[in-house]
Order: sequence, then structure tokens, then C-alpha cells
Amino acid sequence: MGLLSYLKEIFTGKQDAPEAPVAPAAPAAPTKVEVPQPAEAKPAQTPADVKVEQKPEETKMEELPVADKITIGHVHMSGCTGCLVSLADNYEGLFALLDNYADLVYCLTLADVRDIPKMDVALVEGSVCINDHHSVEDIKKARENATIVVALGACAAYGNVTRFARGGQWNQPQHESYLPIGDLIDVDLYLPACPPSKESIRNVAVMAYLLLKGTDEQKELAAAYLKPLMDLAARGVEACGCDLMVDVINQGLCMGCGTCVAACPVRAIDMVYGKPNIDREMCIKCGVCYAQCPRSFFNFDVINQFEAIGEAIDAAMGKGGE
Amino acid sequence: MVLGSYKTAICARAADPGILAKSQDGGIVTQLFAFALEEGIIDGAVVAGPGDEPFKPEPIVATTVAELLEARGTRYTICPNMSMIKEATRTYGLDKVGIVGTPCQIQALRKAQLYPMGMRSVPDKIALAVGIFCMENFPYQGLETMVEDLCNVKMESAVKMDIGKGKFSVYTERGAVSQIPLKLTHKFEQGGCHVCLDYVANLADVSTGSVGTPDGWSTVFVRTKVGEDVWGRAIGAGYFETKDIADVKPGLDLVTKLANEKISKNQKTLEERATFGVNKGLRNPYL
Amino acid sequence: MAKVVEISPTTRHEGHTKITMQVNDAGIVERGDWLSLTPVRGIEKLAIGKSMHQAPKISSRVCGICPIAHTLAGIEAMEASIGCYIPDDAYLLRVILQCANRLHSHALHNILSLPDMYLPGTDTHINPFTSEEPVRSVALRIQKLREIGQTVGEIVGGEPIHPSNPRVGGMYKNITPRAKSKLYDLAKEALPLARDHMEFMIAVFKDWDARPMASVANGKEVEKTEKFGFHDQGYMAVDPLYGSSSLDIEPRWFPERWTEVRPWDWYQGELEVSLEDAEYPIGGTTPVGTKVWPAMEACTGVPLYDGSPVEVGPRARLAMFRNYDRKGAMGLQIARQMEYMDCLYSMIEAIDAVDCSGSVLADEIPQGDGSLGWAANEAPRGTDVHLAKVKDGRVDWYSLLVPTTWNFPTVSRALEGAPWQLTEVIMRAYDPCVSCATHMMVVDDSKRVVAQKMFQ
Repeated sequence: MGLLSYLKEIFTGKQDAPEAPVAPAAPAAPTKVEVPQPAEAKPAQTPADVKVEQKPEETKMEELPVADKITIGHVHMSGCTGCLVSLADNYEGLFALLDNYADLVYCLTLADVRDIPKMDVALVEGSVCINDHHSVEDIKKARENATIVVALGACAAYGNVTRFARGGQWNQPQHESYLPIGDLIDVDLYLPACPPSKESIRNVAVMAYLLLKGTDEQKELAAAYLKPLMDLAARGVEACGCDLMVDVINQGLCMGCGTCVAACPVRAIDMVYGKPNIDREMCIKCGVCYAQCPRSFFNFDVINQFEAIGEAIDAAMGKGGE
Repeated sequence: MVLGSYKTAICARAADPGILAKSQDGGIVTQLFAFALEEGIIDGAVVAGPGDEPFKPEPIVATTVAELLEARGTRYTICPNMSMIKEATRTYGLDKVGIVGTPCQIQALRKAQLYPMGMRSVPDKIALAVGIFCMENFPYQGLETMVEDLCNVKMESAVKMDIGKGKFSVYTERGAVSQIPLKLTHKFEQGGCHVCLDYVANLADVSTGSVGTPDGWSTVFVRTKVGEDVWGRAIGAGYFETKDIADVKPGLDLVTKLANEKISKNQKTLEERATFGVNKGLRNPYL
Repeated sequence: MAKVVEISPTTRHEGHTKITMQVNDAGIVERGDWLSLTPVRGIEKLAIGKSMHQAPKISSRVCGICPIAHTLAGIEAMEASIGCYIPDDAYLLRVILQCANRLHSHALHNILSLPDMYLPGTDTHINPFTSEEPVRSVALRIQKLREIGQTVGEIVGGEPIHPSNPRVGGMYKNITPRAKSKLYDLAKEALPLARDHMEFMIAVFKDWDARPMASVANGKEVEKTEKFGFHDQGYMAVDPLYGSSSLDIEPRWFPERWTEVRPWDWYQGELEVSLEDAEYPIGGTTPVGTKVWPAMEACTGVPLYDGSPVEVGPRARLAMFRNYDRKGAMGLQIARQMEYMDCLYSMIEAIDAVDCSGSVLADEIPQGDGSLGWAANEAPRGTDVHLAKVKDGRVDWYSLLVPTTWNFPTVSRALEGAPWQLTEVIMRAYDPCVSCATHMMVVDDSKRVVAQKMFQ
């Protein structure tokens, strides 16, 4: 958890003096904390394949140290694997990610490692059935073994459809209570939506890499990028289309852009008299309408750089550019 | 930086008189999208098309110049263009999407590109984002009240509405012009506009509006590499007439002045919101 | 005496399962149980009282790999219950979605299967994530096929993972002519790739079948047995491609032939692990002395058709509609590859037939009187039957008989006679999707009673 306090230092620093890049001075010491042993961490693949390649970085981001990769795991709780499929839907980008930036050290669906190892980033998919002791042990172990825990998708973050669960079904009718992981462990980042888009998972993976292995400048960018997702994690474990009413319209912030309509995965939102109308009988409580809303969070320091960040991510993925 | 970062600022108008005819000012948006469509830079654009009621726009995905022409002219009410941004890439089958929007909508677009949680396969399909200057917007019922009750014009008879020189003006088919002072319209403004810190669509590829240039012309900011490329090619192909922005009146000074006014007024609103209640404030989306 | 060995959790498939086996001195499985440990979210129970429009959106979320199958089966079960017939163009769009989902899912499964296989002509296991050739080209081709499938899913379904466009009564939106030609181009682009890929994969699986010795990825080589992964159960499939529902003039699935029994009639009782292999990749098997109790731990029931477990999936479809007859684990793998081409031919036919100006929503959507309706969708991994009763627009009763649930007891049979070290290869051949499977509702041991209950 050294990293987290480091992150917080950066953020509190930023709040004090928004224009000045304060961060780089502080972090030096904590960054080296808990870098897992890459050799042990990569057992799914034969040693011949472990090639740390020079990555094709990066227009703006000057000399990137030829760092080792970060380690990522996918921890499957009570979810549907759709979030993992979304990650895999980066197609050739998935290989760019795994070749250059991240070793997938744990993922029951894709690799043979059976126990949750130490890792830099745990992507947790699914909510936790508290009536199943294996699930509870797994989520605790994930927290213990990971530097950064990401609630990947709506079930982990907010419960999503498992919020409706009430047990009563054979062969385990006692499986009736499902909790978002944030009710049981500290969660560093939320990535809501059902499922989070392939691009958003890619962006978080790249930013996690920059945060852990990048230059000071890159660390600062990555920290700024990830901050709103940390804030979402701090905001709480409940989400619903009603958030648009409660936290946007009621707060006098809605300007009727319609983003929520496009984001909703079950077409539960339409615009009525310039404001979103939520069909609450359709809403599955995934939280994406609020997260995607430009008036939930809007960080000028990051989004003003949309052009440069977009180019940097494209370059990192080995596409676009000239 | 109240005008955002930009590569060039120009005074321009569409070269095609057919486009200019029913456009708000210089016909920039329509002409630029028409050019981008013909050149294959975009294969469709989300624009404010005609709705069921007069001056009540509905977002449409225009894939032909004819459809673009239908969408000409400013309607001073909300058109949720972002609501179509995903569908444009889905059942419409677009790979290169254009979109026009107010500053807040362009902000929403850029957030959707950088944090695309619920926007699968949208971020890399945005080919051209055109922003329009915006001081504030009116809900449809507000606009209706302004036009029908304050200006005494039936919505159906209005052919054009305009804000400028401190007045809100309604033009009718029969050539009548009805005007009210802008201050009468303030109470009808949408509340959500009062926290907006962007007047000239700082995050668009190209942004445009009437302020700063003479009647029938528009001020254009070219902001990004994408914008520079499209604009350069359109100029090269003779799609726009241009003048040096330094030579026109009132020029960028007025744009800067209005941008400053909007931003400082809304900064103040944000500050007031922070201490709105008793030891309780309203939410600030920028923190 | 037989020893008890357990692989837990199993890997390279969707969900959480384990294999508990009794093996003889030679390590050959005498009795095997493959069972789900995935917590039961209880989709059928939580759907009760929800609107008929929302329930299929929830059931889509039982699985992110075959969400299209669950969405379509769910929606069509609702439509069957309320008696709603959808326009032809809506049906065609659903067929396109079905093909797209199968294309992506089969290709994804290749990634999960390849690590146990060998590059033909070598003794090197295939790591699909290596950057070395020729594997990287194969992996990129798999991703390209998936990209095409998922992109078609995006255009027609709104989203490929949990499609938003299908709805009770048809579809929200038809496609434009531009989208139609894009779909057509995508399918055409995939055709030659799929043909090459099918041939490569079949060669790989045949190569494995022909080897005397084999191992799982990074495992110890053991001698293979004859009839590896054979079982004597029958097959169940309702259509080579799409499905059937109770609205059909001649339905091809029969609820009265379905029985559901509890796992404690079917799985092993309490056992103690007495054989352990710390070398089994990666992390070893369950430690000696651990108490296990499959019948109590299993998270699914056991569905039977005519009183017996059946196999569902690609081989079942090919066996029933094309007289395919290759047995064993590799026989199933090869059948799966043989479905690639039809995904694309059928997709192209359906795209051709879509009228972009046609209506895709039924004029009238009844609210339902509580009648039973069912829809059986041929999901990538087998027949996915949803049964529903809708009354006044709300779900009164809902049941999902999903592919992997059918396959659990069949796989358990297919493990018998195989060396325990290779049992995961058999299990993986079924392309398990376990989150889906864990949604069974056990009704009654006597199918008569079940049938009567359902038709009341």
C-alpha cells in the first residue's frame, strides 16, 4: 500500500497548487515499494517467451526508461467474464499490452496459475457472494497481494445485476447476498460500466504502467488521469440511473448533452424536455450513466490534453501516428 | 487562455451561396461538414436536425449534404447531440463520425474519448468535432415563452432567431423583426449552463460563432491537428472565403471580452455553490 | 484401491469449477465429477417480478462470452410466453447476431485450448501469447476473426458484450444500407481467414489425437488412453445454427422430455483426498487429507433429457444435422472448427436478405397471461433453453437450462478411462461457460410432475 500513499501525496499536492507540477519531488522513495518478482510471476508462459522488448514509446513522453513490465491479474468473483472479454477485445492491442507493458500473472480463464499471486494490479471482476467462503477468502487475498485493486466493471464496483439477487435457487439456495468489493476491501480505482469498454480498460492499464514504471512526468500524468477513478471508488458502492437525478439534475448541473443516453447499456434513458428520463424498470445499476456524464467529473488538467494523451496511447499500442 | 489553445483564428464564410442562404451566420458548420463528407474525411455527422415542433431540434445522423442543409441555423434550445454518438457507429455503420456541439457537448465528447467507460468503439471513430460558441442555452419551454409571450411571435411563424448586440431577435416569414433586451431572457436560461467555463468550445477541432466578425461572417478557431488538416484542405479547395481576423471589427477583443465575462460570472457561481447552504454546498464537477 | 485426486480450481475456461476423481493405481480415472463452484447468483429467482423487458437484459449478464445467446433466448422465451411474433427483418438481424457471437466465441476458445496442444511436427506446446512465429500469426488471426464477430455484434446488437438492440417484440433499430454493406464486407473479409484457420486448428487437434503421449501445458507427459474422452451419452441440439421456440409450428425441443435431478443423487459423497501432485501446473492439486464433498459443493443441478445426461454443443449439432461421428475430446474440438464457415455463410445470407427499410418491431406486443413459453438457442457451446411465464408484462416464472449445465454430467462421464493428468483437456474441449451454468432450478425428479406443472 505504499503506492497509494504516494498517489495521495501527489493528489493533495495538486489540490494545493493546481497549476504548478508539484508532484515529482515527493515520490522518490515510495515508488520502489512492492515491485513483485517478475521471474516467479510469469509461470503461465515458457521462459523462452519472456522477452522484455523495447517498447515503441512515445512521441511526447521523452526517454522512457526501459523498465520491466508491471504484473496484472484478473480476479474473477461473481461476474460474467464480459469485462475480461472486453479486455481481450483490444484485439492486436492485447498483444501490444502483454508484449510491452504488462505480464498477466493470474487469470483463471486465460492461464493456468491456480492461486492468487503477488501482483501490481488486480483487476477484480464481479461482486462477492458473502455466503461462499471461497469468494470471501479470494477477495481478501487479492487485496493482500495487489498493490492496486481495480473494481473492473459494474458488478465489482456497484453490484450491478447481482444487487437484485435474493437466493432461493438450487443447488445453493443460501447464496443470497452479494456485495460490491468495496464493501469488503479498500478499492483503489473504479472502472464502471457493464462492461467497461475495451478502450477504457486499455487506458487504465497503460496509465497503471506509466504510474509504476514511467518517468516522473509520466507518473504525474498517470496519477492525474487516474484520480477521478479513485474518486469514484471513494464516492461509494451504490449506483443507479437515479444518480443522474440526484447528483446531476437536482444539483443544477445537467445541461442536456445526452451522453448518458449513449452510454446506457440497456437503453433505459431518453431525453425528455432536455433532461434524461430514466426507465427505472430497465436500469441494472451499472453506474455508467453517472460516470460518463461530463458533469460527474471533469478534470481540465487531463482532458485539455486530450490530443497528446490520445496520441501517446496510440503510440504505446503501436498504431496511429505517422 | 479563455479562448483555449488554437493554431489560427480566421474570419470566414461559406463560399457556396446555397449554404449561406439559410445559415445562421457564415455557414461554417454546414460548409465544413459538406466538404468533409465529399472528401471522405467523415462519412456522417451528428447534427441538430428538424424536430416535431418548430425550433425544437432533434439530433440526427446526416450522411448526405441534403440532410446537412436541413439542419442549418441556430435553435437556441437544447439538442442532445451526444445521445446519438454511439448509435452513429452502430446501426448507421459510420467509421468516421463528425459531430457539432456546444462547448459542453464537446467537453462530453472529449471525456468520452479519454474515459470511454460506456463508449465502446466510439473514441477512435471521432473524425471531426466542430464546436459552436455558446453563452448559455434555453430549455424549449423557456424559448417558447421568450418568443411567443415576450416577442409576441408564434413559434410557427419564426424563421430565424438571433442573439447579438444585447438583444434577442426573432425574424418572421413576413419580414417582421421582434426584439427584446437580452436581460429579459436571463431567467429562462438553463441552470446547468451557469457552471460552464468554456465559451468558444476550447476542446473542438474547429470552433466557430458569430461574435467578433461582421454580419454574415463567422469567427473560426482552428485548434487541433485534425482541425488544421481539414480546414487547410477546405480552404485549398475554395470552400470558404476568408479575411484576416485582425482586419475585421469588432475582432477577437470582443470574443475575449465575452469569454471573460462568461467564465468569471460562472466561476463566481461555482464559488457561491460551494457555500450554498448552511455548512453545506452544491457539488462542483471540476474538483 | 482407488485413490482420490482433485484439480481445483480448473483453469482456462469461464467460471469456477473443479474436478474430483477416483483413480486406479495407473492413474486412470474410474469415477470423475466435474462440478461448478461458481456462486449461484440466482438469475431465475431474481427475475421474478421484473418487467419482461428487463429480465432478458439481466439474463444476458449471466455470461459475457455468449451474452447474445442468452439475450436472444431470454427475449424469445418472453415472446413465446406472450405470443408475440416478430417481423422478418428483426429475425434476420438476430440471425446475424447469432453468427457473429459464434464466430467470436469459437475463436476465443481456440486461445484457451491451444496451450495444451502442440505445434504439429514438434513437441512444443503452443503459447498463444508468445510473440514468436508461427504462433503470433495464428493468434492475430484469431483476434481478427474475433474482431469481425464482435464488430458485427456492435453494429447489429448495439454492443457485442450484452447486446442492447434486441428487445421483446423485435429490435429497437434496423440497420442502414451503409451498415449493411459494412457488415457484408466484414463477413467477406473473414471468409478466407476462417477457412485457413479452421484447417490449421483441425490439423492441430488431429495431431494431438494421434500422439501416444501428451501433457497439459507445462505438465508431465503421460501415456494417453484409447478412446480418450469418449462417453456413451446421446446428443441434444435443436438447429444447426439458430434455435427453436414454442411458437414454432413444429418445435424441436420438448419440455416434457426434460427432467432435473439434484446433484446429491448424481455426484460423489464425502471423500478425502489421498493423492497429491505438487508439480501439476501451476500450483499443484488439492493437498492430501482435504475433505471434499462434490454432491454438497456442486452449484448446479443435473438436467436430463429422456432420463439421461446429454451432450450439447458443436458436435451435438453436427451429429444431429450432419451425421458427424467423431468421438472423444478431439472429435468435439474438430466439430467446433467445422462450424466456422457456416457462421459466415449464414451471416452473409442473412445480411443479403435484410430489408433496411423494413419494420423491426412488432405492431402489437401483448402483455402475457402467464402461459409457458420457451426458446432454445443454439449458443456457441450448446443448446440454451430459457422457459418463462409472463403475466401482465411481468415475469411470473423463469428458468434457464444453459449449455454447460447440460454438459456437466456428460463431461463427468467422459473423464472415465482417461489419465487424471489429462482430464482438464477433456473438460476444456466442451468450452465450458460456468457462470451461465450456475442458474439451474431443480424442480422435481419425476418428469411427469414437471410437465404437468409447467403446462398448468
